[in-house]
Amino acid sequence: MPAPRPDRSSPPRDDADLERLLALVARGDQDAFEALYDKLSGPAYGLVRKVLRDPAQSEEVTQEVMLEVWRTASRFDPARGTATTWALTIAHRRAVDRVRSETATTDREQRSAPFPFPVDDVAETVEANMDAEQVRRCLDGLTEVQREAITLAYYEGHTYPQVAKKLEVALGTVKTRIRDGLMRLGNCLGIGR
Amino acid sequence: MRLFSRRVHELSGAYALDALDDAERDRFERHLRRCSACAEDVRQMTSTATALAMAVAAEPPPGLKQRVLAAAAATPQLPPLPSAAARRRRGRHVTRSAWFPRLALGVAAVGVAAAVALAVVTVSTQNRLNTVQAQNQAIAAVLAAPDAQIATGTSSTGGTATVVLSYAQQKMIFTSSGLPRLPNAKVYELWLLSTGSAVPAGLLPQASDGKTAPVLASGLTSADKVGVTVEPAGGTSSPTTTPILVMTLPD
Repeated sequence: MPAPRPDRSSPPRDDADLERLLALVARGDQDAFEALYDKLSGPAYGLVRKVLRDPAQSEEVTQEVMLEVWRTASRFDPARGTATTWALTIAHRRAVDRVRSETATTDREQRSAPFPFPVDDVAETVEANMDAEQVRRCLDGLTEVQREAITLAYYEGHTYPQVAKKLEVALGTVKTRIRDGLMRLGNCLGIGR
Repeated sequence: MRLFSRRVHELSGAYALDALDDAERDRFERHLRRCSACAEDVRQMTSTATALAMAVAAEPPPGLKQRVLAAAAATPQLPPLPSAAARRRRGRHVTRSAWFPRLALGVAAVGVAAAVALAVVTVSTQNRLNTVQAQNQAIAAVLAAPDAQIATGTSSTGGTATVVLSYAQQKMIFTSSGLPRLPNAKVYELWLLSTGSAVPAGLLPQASDGKTAPVLASGLTSADKVGVTVEPAGGTSSPTTTPILVMTLPD
């Protein structure tokens, strides 16, 4: 069980910076948008690519995501989460929409075959990333079903019924494993109430 | 009811990971508005999801930045909503599109029209405010339609027009900028055109600052073009002059 560490995934100062930038972006400040791009494009691209796998599609979707951040900056509501969370929610939703709109699931299965993505390679694409290391250690602290349910849903864009089918467990079990697993993961990462 | 709530509540984790299908997501979001405990759960679990996202950050392709910045420079932005309180009062369409990218997609494409639409909220009397709010809600619904599309056209007498339309809702929003001012006895009239037919779709309000407030037209079914003519004040039931503007609607 990894020892809890300070929450590095959302350092307060960074978030305050991002919120300030976002407020400027909402007023059409293109320099602020460039600064925001520098901070958010890496996480957004990495996430989209993790879900979509295909580099060309990932680039296209990342562009859509960053443009949506530009267009909807005025609608960011700090009461509902940090600026990073807001932007990455957009990124994840877009990536998932893209995955699910691919008509034939079998295509995706076939496409994924040459690129196996075992659930424990979370940090693969990141070099020397402390956040990644901590997330990996905290994921290791979950039960196997919790960990697999969370990674299949979040990193591969599956709905929870699809996750249930893949893991061959009941629907209700998946719902609660995802929920309990996320709670436990949040505690381990120091994301407090 | 309690059992139902608890079952819905269990979806908060799956919701935070976008692991619900559209129907279930909608149902959960309705529940979320009434359940502050769930909202707090979701907030926390979404933060945890953010940590999962940060863990897979990767260097984006080098050319992407320039393309994004160039595209942003040419992309209109959504204006701020009047106020958070008004947003909550006015209900779902606008609030949802503020946060949920699926809807924001439709809205985002039409920032210009939205700017015009929401500017109208500044009228002062309560009655007019209510009317305008009702109209804004109808407009917001079109802007937020998943199939919303935008088209622009240029008038032969100067000025431009922008149309946002949703075939699913069979509605269209028309705004214009820079049309020449007409004498009091004349008015711009909007038409839905299809082969051999012109259906009146409303009169353009008096422009302020050169821009006309949005006109919402319903019954967009077979029309494939939108036209504007100059007509006697009060409008007519069929066009009596050559259109100063005809726009082909997107498919």
